[in-house]
Amino acid sequence: MEQFIYYLKVSLLSIKRAPLPYALTVFILSVGLGVFFANATFYYQLNSDPLPGKSDKLFFPMTLTPYDCNDCRPPRILSYSNVQKLAASDIPSAQAAMYSSDGYARLTIDQPPTPVVIRITQRDFFQMFDVPLLHGSVWPDDNGHHQVILSRPMALKLFGRTAVVGESLLLDDRNFRIIGVLDEWQMLPRLYDANGRNHLTANEDIFLPLETGYDLNYLSKTNSQTFDDTDYRQLATEGRVGALHQLQYWVQLDTAAQQEDYQQYMQSLAEDEKAAGRHPAPINNQLVPMLGIVDYFGDDPGDIKAFALVTLLFLVVCLFNASHLALNRYLSNQYEFSLRRALGASRSQLQLQMLADVLLMTVFSLLGALFIGYAGVSLMNALLPQNSLFSTWDLTLITALILAAFTCSYLVTLYPSLRASFGSLNQQLKE
Amino acid sequence: MITLTNLSKIFRTELIETHALRDVTLQVNEGEFAALTGPSGSGKSTLLNILGTLESFDSGDYLLDGKSIKGLSDAALSQLRNEKIGFIFQSFNLIKDFSIYDNIELPLRYRGLKAAERKQRIEQALELVGLHARRDYLPAQLSGGQQQRVAIARAIAGRPRILLADEPTGNLDSLMARQVMELLEQINQQGCTILMVTHDPDQARRAGRNIQIIDGQLHDSTMYEPLATQSA
Repeated sequence: MEQFIYYLKVSLLSIKRAPLPYALTVFILSVGLGVFFANATFYYQLNSDPLPGKSDKLFFPMTLTPYDCNDCRPPRILSYSNVQKLAASDIPSAQAAMYSSDGYARLTIDQPPTPVVIRITQRDFFQMFDVPLLHGSVWPDDNGHHQVILSRPMALKLFGRTAVVGESLLLDDRNFRIIGVLDEWQMLPRLYDANGRNHLTANEDIFLPLETGYDLNYLSKTNSQTFDDTDYRQLATEGRVGALHQLQYWVQLDTAAQQEDYQQYMQSLAEDEKAAGRHPAPINNQLVPMLGIVDYFGDDPGDIKAFALVTLLFLVVCLFNASHLALNRYLSNQYEFSLRRALGASRSQLQLQMLADVLLMTVFSLLGALFIGYAGVSLMNALLPQNSLFSTWDLTLITALILAAFTCSYLVTLYPSLRASFGSLNQQLKE
Repeated sequence: MITLTNLSKIFRTELIETHALRDVTLQVNEGEFAALTGPSGSGKSTLLNILGTLESFDSGDYLLDGKSIKGLSDAALSQLRNEKIGFIFQSFNLIKDFSIYDNIELPLRYRGLKAAERKQRIEQALELVGLHARRDYLPAQLSGGQQQRVAIARAIAGRPRILLADEPTGNLDSLMARQVMELLEQINQQGCTILMVTHDPDQARRAGRNIQIIDGQLHDSTMYEPLATQSA
C-alpha cells in the first residue's frame, strides 16, 4: 500500500510538471464520457425493470381485431365492450383497463384552474403496479364514483399538504371527493402506458374511476380510434357499445398455468367473435409481457437510439484524442521511464505506476464527466420533452459510470505507457 | 566476476550494419577498478551498457558471477540491475522535481525495502558523499559536482557489487572531477568493482586497469600499479 501511495505521489508530480496538457486530456475525456453518461442515463432508465419480481407476471393481451387484414396484429387499444368480454374471465389474479386524459383542477370556482393529467382506470391498477398509498384507500369497486386519488405532488400543489382525504376538489368544475393520496411514486420506465413513447414521462396527477371517465365523456388524450360511426362525444352511451377503441388492458397472470389458460381463453373468445362476424381478420392473439412492451411496439425512441450511436462514436473520437495527448505526455517523460528501468524497475512495476496514473485520471475525468453528464441530461430534457423525466443516478448506474470512466482512462493510458516503457533504455538515458 | 566471451553487437538500420563490438573477450575480477578508454564511437559505451544489461548483444556470452544473462526475463534483468549493478551517468540523470533524498531512494523502492532500511541506507550514502545536510534540496539547487555525488549516492545506496560509470566527470570542471574520482576510489577500496568509461588518460591511470577499445575490438588491457601504491 505504501508503495502504491508512492506511485500516486509520483503521478501527481508528473501532472504538476505539465498541468496544461494533462488538464486538456482530462477535459477531452470528460466531455466524451459526459455526453456518453447523459445518453446512458436515458438508456438505463428506458431498459430497466420498473417492477423487479413482478414484471414477468404482468401481460398486455391483444386479441380482437375489428377489421379485415392479413398477418396484422390486433390493435393495442380496445373498445369498452371488448374489455368487458376479456374482463369476464376469472383466470387473471388482477386486471385493469385504463387510459389517460387531460383536465383542469381547482379547489374553488374562483381559483385559477391547474392543468392536470388524469389516469382513468380501475381499482386493480394500484395493486398490479405496486402504487403506494400515503393516505386513504382506492375505490371500493369498479363502479363509477365521484371520487379521485391524488398524486403526492398534486396534493401538495393544490392544498399545500398531503393529508387531504375527505376534502373536495373541482375537476373540470365537477365536484369530486378525495379518497386517497399516493406516496412518492415514479415508475420508470412507465411501461403500464403502452400508448406510444411516454415511458420516461411523469406519472399522472389524478386518478379517476374508469366508469366515471366514460360517464363524463373523458376522451383519451393519446390514442383513440373508431371502426364504426360511434360519436366520440357520446362516450357515456355510444362509447360503451360501439367500436370506439381507446382502452389499454393489463392482466396479472402469476403462474405458467394461468398464462396458458388465458391464452386458451383468448383463443375461445376470438373464435366466438369470429363466428359472430365481429372479428374479420385471421386470429392472431398476443400476450405481451410487460418488459417486452417497448420492443413489441417498436417504441424504442429512434432519436435516443441515433443519439446513442453518435455519443458512442464521439466517445471513441475523444478516446483517440485523449490517448494522443497522453502519448505526447508519456513520450516527453520517457527519459524518466528509462531511468527507472535502468535503476531496477521491472515493466510490471512500471505498469503499477501506470495504474496509479489511471486511478487519478479516472477520478478527475469522472468528476468532469458527471458534471457534463448532468448538464447533458438537462439539455436532453429540454430538447426531447417527451423523455423529460430524469430521476436520479442510482448506485447501479453510478457504479457502471465509474467502471466506464476507469476503462476509458485505462485505454487512454495503456498504449502511451506501454510505448514509454518499451523504449530503448540506452537511447533515452543519453538524450 | 564478469566474463565476456566472443561478445558482438551490431546496430542495424535499413541501409547499413554497424559492428559496435566484435568478438570481445574479457574477464573482470571482483574489486577491480577498470577504465574503458578509446576514441569516440569505438564501442566503449556500448560495452558498458551491455555490462549493465541496458543493451542486448547479438552473439557471444556474458557471465555475471558465473551465470549467463542470456535469455533472462525482463523481471530477472531488472532485479539484477537493481541488486548487483549501480549506474553513474555523465549527465547525472536525476529527476529534477524529486528531492535529493527521493532521487537516492528510487532504486531502493523497486527492491521493496522497508522504509526504515531505505532511510538508513540513504543516510549512509549521503554521509559518504558529504551531502547529508542537503537531503531535501532539489537537484537544480546543487552544483554539477554535487549532483554527480548525488548520482553516486543513488548508485551505491543499493550496495551494488559493480558500479558502471559512463564518463562520470565529463560534465565537471577539474576540481569537481578530482573530488568525484576520489569518491570512486574510496568506494572501490570498500570492495566494489568499478568499470568507468573515460577519455581522460590521467583518470584512466588512476584506475588499476585500462581496457582500450578501438573499432569495437578489445585492443589493449593494461594493468597499472594502483595510484595509492605508487605514491606510497
